[in-house]
Amino acid sequence: MRRTLTTGLRHAALLVSAAAFLAPVAFLVVGSFKPEGRILADAGSWRAFFPAHWTLDNYRDVFARVDFVRFLLNSLLINGAMVLSGLAVNSLAAYALARLRWAGRPFVLGLVLATLVVPFEAIAVPLFYGLSAIGWRDDWSVQVVPFVANPLSIWLFYVFFAGLPRELEEAARVDGAGVLRTFLTVVVPNARAAFATVAIVTLLFYWGMYLWPLLMTAGPHARPLPLAIATFYTLPPLRWGDILAFGTLMVAPVLLLFILFQRAFVRGVAATGIKG
Amino acid sequence: MLLAAALAVWAPPPARAHAPYALTVWFHAGQPGERRVMRAAVDAFNAEQDAARVRLVLIPEGSYNGQVQAAALAGDLPDVLEFDGPYVYNYVWEGKLIPLGGLLPKRLLRDLLPSVVRQGTYAGRLYSVAMFDSGLGLWGNRRLLERAGVRIPTDPAGAWSAAQFDRVLAALARHDRDRRVLDLKLDYPGEWLTYAFSPLIESAGGDLIDRRTGRTARGFLDGPGAVSAMRRVQSWFRRGYVDPDVRGDAFVSGRAALAWGGHWNYPRYHRALGRDLVLMPLPRFGPRLVTDSGSWNWGITTACRRPRLAARFLEFLLRPRWILAMTAANGAVPATRTALARSPLYRPGGPLRLFAVQLEEGYAEPRPRTPAYPVISSAFQQAFRAIRNGAPVRAALRRATTVIDRNLRDNDYYPPIAVVRRVPAAGGGR
Amino acid sequence: MSGAARRAPGARREAAAGLLFALPALLGLALFVLGPFLFAVAVSFTDLHLGSPLPVHFVGLRAYRRLFEDPVFLRALVNNAGFALVVVPVQTAAALALALLLDRPSRLRGLYRTLFFMPVVFPLSLVSVVWVLLYAPGPEGTVNALMHWLSLGHWRARDFLHDPALALPALMLTSVWQGLGFQMIVLLAGLQEIPAERYEAARVDGAGAWARFRHVTLPGLRNPLVFVVLITSVLAFRLFDQVRIMTHGGPDYATTTLIYEAVRAAFDRGNVARGAAISVVFFVVVLGVALVQRRLVRERRELA
Repeated sequence: MRRTLTTGLRHAALLVSAAAFLAPVAFLVVGSFKPEGRILADAGSWRAFFPAHWTLDNYRDVFARVDFVRFLLNSLLINGAMVLSGLAVNSLAAYALARLRWAGRPFVLGLVLATLVVPFEAIAVPLFYGLSAIGWRDDWSVQVVPFVANPLSIWLFYVFFAGLPRELEEAARVDGAGVLRTFLTVVVPNARAAFATVAIVTLLFYWGMYLWPLLMTAGPHARPLPLAIATFYTLPPLRWGDILAFGTLMVAPVLLLFILFQRAFVRGVAATGIKG
Repeated sequence: MLLAAALAVWAPPPARAHAPYALTVWFHAGQPGERRVMRAAVDAFNAEQDAARVRLVLIPEGSYNGQVQAAALAGDLPDVLEFDGPYVYNYVWEGKLIPLGGLLPKRLLRDLLPSVVRQGTYAGRLYSVAMFDSGLGLWGNRRLLERAGVRIPTDPAGAWSAAQFDRVLAALARHDRDRRVLDLKLDYPGEWLTYAFSPLIESAGGDLIDRRTGRTARGFLDGPGAVSAMRRVQSWFRRGYVDPDVRGDAFVSGRAALAWGGHWNYPRYHRALGRDLVLMPLPRFGPRLVTDSGSWNWGITTACRRPRLAARFLEFLLRPRWILAMTAANGAVPATRTALARSPLYRPGGPLRLFAVQLEEGYAEPRPRTPAYPVISSAFQQAFRAIRNGAPVRAALRRATTVIDRNLRDNDYYPPIAVVRRVPAAGGGR
Repeated sequence: MSGAARRAPGARREAAAGLLFALPALLGLALFVLGPFLFAVAVSFTDLHLGSPLPVHFVGLRAYRRLFEDPVFLRALVNNAGFALVVVPVQTAAALALALLLDRPSRLRGLYRTLFFMPVVFPLSLVSVVWVLLYAPGPEGTVNALMHWLSLGHWRARDFLHDPALALPALMLTSVWQGLGFQMIVLLAGLQEIPAERYEAARVDGAGAWARFRHVTLPGLRNPLVFVVLITSVLAFRLFDQVRIMTHGGPDYATTTLIYEAVRAAFDRGNVARGAAISVVFFVVVLGVALVQRRLVRERRELA
């Protein structure tokens, strides 16, 4: 008897919590299909989630008022380049730290640990000044290159590589493979989980980057999505329908990817946490 | 056949042998009407000539100054820059703008309103021009005012005195359910506070800074005039007259009978209140009304390699057709007398005539024309916020004066070094 | 013998490879993390101002002295501290509660996990914009309506983002909503690592649910909990996006934060020296918070 009561309570609590969490998302998506006049008016009632009228006007308006495709492409370019080059640069460095003996290793290890505790915001201002002073601003590359070398990624790879059994690498070396060949043919295929995790964590942190593009981009040609929606929000007239449509468009691909790969997502994120 | 050959040989060569110059222009992303007019003007300019091709870049208003500073640092300034009026002195001092004197025709300069010319002048030279100037006043709901038996002033000479204004507020409050009768637009971005309320200080005999020397604010911003003016403003809050106006519709919905505002409010207010909308001067806190002026200005930057082409674009913008289109979109005061005379809103008998009168008859005092202006404004805003929350007025103003004076000292009182250094060679550009 | 002969050139190749492999990252970290930080420290001792034609001077600790005399900066510190002190326990406790609720084999677990994690993939700028709408003033605003319903009609509609008392709590709720899923996932994974035998043993010993929680669950969750608390604390101090978009540091500086002040100083006002000084203070504060937490954790471990 008590068991069913607690189970029932459990389910009720979960349902209520899930509803609370889902509500803003539903508000966003549903609202994007509502006519402008109804969005605020319905916001306080259940009608916010079950509209009486549907319309595509907001989406039409977004594409007319805003160069959404360009911002999407900017975000894809910036994040894609960052993730791919980050995987290469950071995994190589971590492998060197974990497995190789070379002069300067302790120094670099120390550097990684030291920069690990420096949050981005602590260096945003000096970086903004320094890069602007040499004229490097307002393009996509300045939003990628400074973030490629990432101490967190290096550390995640490092822990993983250090935990790999050495037999495979030694076997390859005995066969005469060079260091790079060993890395590429033996280590990388066995580190798929680490690569996936680092890619996911990097994406999670940098996809929504707002501060840096705010400081470093002026016109819309290099502006990524998170900044674009914030500037769109400040552009009169304030039409909530348009903004919600923009937001839905912006988050839909990531949301879709997430729902499809959620188990890998979650496993990767959890792995980093536990090992932390 | 022969004729064609002859023509080919003798016909004059094409007017421009080289590609059009890409003229970058930065414009603040304001009202949709303003953006529309700008785009149309740019298209028309591009179509009318082929020496220059304008590339218009809309910069979000919230980070406008930051973007300008960063671009200047990177050597990436546009050719033509729009900026909020009182920032011109700061930009000139920092070496970002070139003088316009020799680049614009004299008849155009003579046609500009004196307030516009004054706003754009620093150290004796003209650095910016404007398509429009601003109007600051008190919007009123005629029905509510008449119901409270209040006299409605319509020209600067009839402005309410401070004491009269207090009585007006009290009378309006008696007829208002929550006694909140005054909308002060406190949610507007910070610069509004300086623009809208420093005239009260000036009317009371104080000022934001000693304009004669420009070397201190002490005695002016924390002097008796300023203190008494801000104490009176504070009393409006204390007595509950000020509507917090969370939704921005206190005035248009009739909840507040009075709204401190400017020309940009006209389109919306007119739509909402129609004939019940009345425009009045601000109250005067001393013997004479003081109101504010200054709005978005245009200048040519030191990064421009073809200043004469840029000047042609500015000339184009200042044609009556475009000034009238822009001011029809945003309700501002046309900056040239020619356009002013033709404007349906501003000619004698027009609904916004008061704004033009204020500018022409010298009631409008521009904000301090000093490179220290950004700091002055920021310090004043901070003081205003404290005062409005009940802080002791003298202390708040004294704190602002300290900050301003310290900044003036830090910057050696802004000596005009950049001005001398950055003058371009005569005849630069084509 | 052949091994020794092969090792020498191999070792040299390894040394070269090590250096080469690490070089890009080394350059990146040095140029884009370490360098700027040192630059910030250096600049904070000057009067560097964007655009100023005056020469730059060394002024010692002037920037720092002015910071700590500035009521707005001090307010930012207080806001950051208050924000962290509320958000960290609330978010962690809520995440733990949800993780506990989900710590049963269930077909729906994957679904719930997805639902709770969804907000984490939302960019903060989008979250900010949507929540501005949710916090709409007036009785028809969603949050107002909810409060009205929960309080059985006693709630008066408030303008959260313009109310000096409610603005920061409003931002707290937004942050908790967005970040909770991440913590929950980590804690859930941690819960599942606790061997079932320990619970059995405790139950056999006669421990009730609360005692089991205190003596099996919490100790078992130590690492994930420490990790999650640390990350959330650091993230709480980095608060910027929501402030810039939703409240602009207002009303009357009620929501300004360290980073918001740094950006306002350096970017909006061109005062790079002040922005750099704030950045350095920010780093010191965050480092301090992390070190204090580590010290507390170590002490707890020694006590136990």
